[in-house]
Amino acid sequence: MNVLTEMFSSLDTHWFWVIMTVACLVWYSTITVYVAFKGFGDIRRMLKRMSGPRGPAK
Amino acid sequence: MTSTFTILDGGIVGLYLLATMVAGVMVRRYVRGVEDFLLAGREMDVYLGIASLAATEFGIVTCMYTAQNGFDKGFAGAVPGVLTFLAMLLVGITGFCVKPLRDSGVITIPELFEKKFGPKVRWGSGVVIVLGGLLNMGVFLRTGGDFLVNVSGMDPGYLELMMTALLVGVAVYTILGGMLSVLVTDFLQFVVMSVGLIATTVFILDKVGWDTLVRTVQVTHGDGGFDPFKNESMGWSYVIFNILLNTAAVLTWQTQIARVLAAKDSKTGRKIYTGTSFFFVARFLIPGIWGIAALALLTPDQVGDSSLLAMPRMLGMLIPAGMMGLLIAAMLAADMSTDSSYMLTWGSVIYNDIMAPFRRGKWSEKKGLFWNRTIIALIGVFLLIYGLWYKIEGDLWTYLGITGTIYLSSMSVLLIACCYWKDANSWGATAAIIFGALLPVSTIILQKVGPYTEWFMGNGTLCGIATYVVVALAMIIGSLLKPHQTGKAAV
Repeated sequence: MNVLTEMFSSLDTHWFWVIMTVACLVWYSTITVYVAFKGFGDIRRMLKRMSGPRGPAK
Repeated sequence: MTSTFTILDGGIVGLYLLATMVAGVMVRRYVRGVEDFLLAGREMDVYLGIASLAATEFGIVTCMYTAQNGFDKGFAGAVPGVLTFLAMLLVGITGFCVKPLRDSGVITIPELFEKKFGPKVRWGSGVVIVLGGLLNMGVFLRTGGDFLVNVSGMDPGYLELMMTALLVGVAVYTILGGMLSVLVTDFLQFVVMSVGLIATTVFILDKVGWDTLVRTVQVTHGDGGFDPFKNESMGWSYVIFNILLNTAAVLTWQTQIARVLAAKDSKTGRKIYTGTSFFFVARFLIPGIWGIAALALLTPDQVGDSSLLAMPRMLGMLIPAGMMGLLIAAMLAADMSTDSSYMLTWGSVIYNDIMAPFRRGKWSEKKGLFWNRTIIALIGVFLLIYGLWYKIEGDLWTYLGITGTIYLSSMSVLLIACCYWKDANSWGATAAIIFGALLPVSTIILQKVGPYTEWFMGNGTLCGIATYVVVALAMIIGSLLKPHQTGKAAV
């Protein structure tokens, strides 16, 4: 929490890097959880398609 | 140097390695032919694509040079990440080049060039892509080993042995399962890597404090630590070179474009690019913060001769037991996903394009798979040999930029011309390939043996910009010089 306070207080001088750092951590955490769930489904569907009969090359 | 690596950490790392190897080897049975091996049957969907692209584009070597950028340049060192984000977002939204490329149904970029410029240009493109790619990835192994030795406190005498074992493990599942193994292991590696990177960054921010990081950058680099245009080691030439370099990489870097080509369709490929684009800010900024933390915490004696090793030394001292295992597992994940994908995708160019003249008769799927697997094994041997003797001069990011430019400059110009300029032809393409390879190789030689070694060492980015300009001119002038032929439009 102390870090967030420090970051907030330096917004006026280094706003670009504060925003980028916070955005990185928030975006990266969110996308990791989201991709972990959705990507697992992608793998299952991909392997299912690849184990069945194939159509012509796409 | 002391490290907090314990048996608990070893257990975490061992468990991760076992899970990856099992997953990588298990999917080999789905591989029926060359297209399955090289492009996973073009069945990749958006989220798997995002995981795979992000995991591939973040290796230990990435972490090392981006942290070095943070140490040497402050927050401004993350500017290449911001530029890559913008380039990838724009390409993803517009489909610039990647849409016609994926819609053409080719396996590699040089295969597309054959349709417009003929078989000789395809072969020449394959050669420069492989040359640039292999020189680039040749430094991965030692850099990764340096990181692991410095973080874990392991005896440096084991570096070669440890990295050889890691490469053999990666090669085994890549050779068996090709892109399918790469995608499945990339997914696991993305999750492990991301958890480790986020946890370590939050820990560092909490321990060191934001104010300390900002103050350290201000004291060491002044305003140049926040603004690339005010930084003595950056300036306009650095920014322009990185705009050109990162845009070209987004369009033609083999591991990135392989995700577009393995996607279900061009729309999926574009979504993968758009969805992954912001990761490239994290790719530079997160290790950059680690590098700045090393600058804040280490004395000059602890840093030693090379700023490249400052970040792993800092982590070795700061990260507690338990978390150290997670960090090393994360970095191994990052490295393995990068190595496997690099071996596979550059191998695909050797098979599909450089060997094309030798495959005039239809090869059986079995023979094709055999050769693809053999090529990957040979690339692995090259990585071991080159990685052990080559010593980098200057900073790592510039070395990677220059070696990448050997093909990025010419291939990006060829791709744009191929897709959008109907008068582009084989003369222009050949001239672009020759100049694109010649200038960066000359720069490396001049940096090593001279004359004017010091100037070339200090002006690598200017040489890089000159290469892109000359290559574009070569394409235009060469194409205009060739007697006009009708019948070949932009693909």
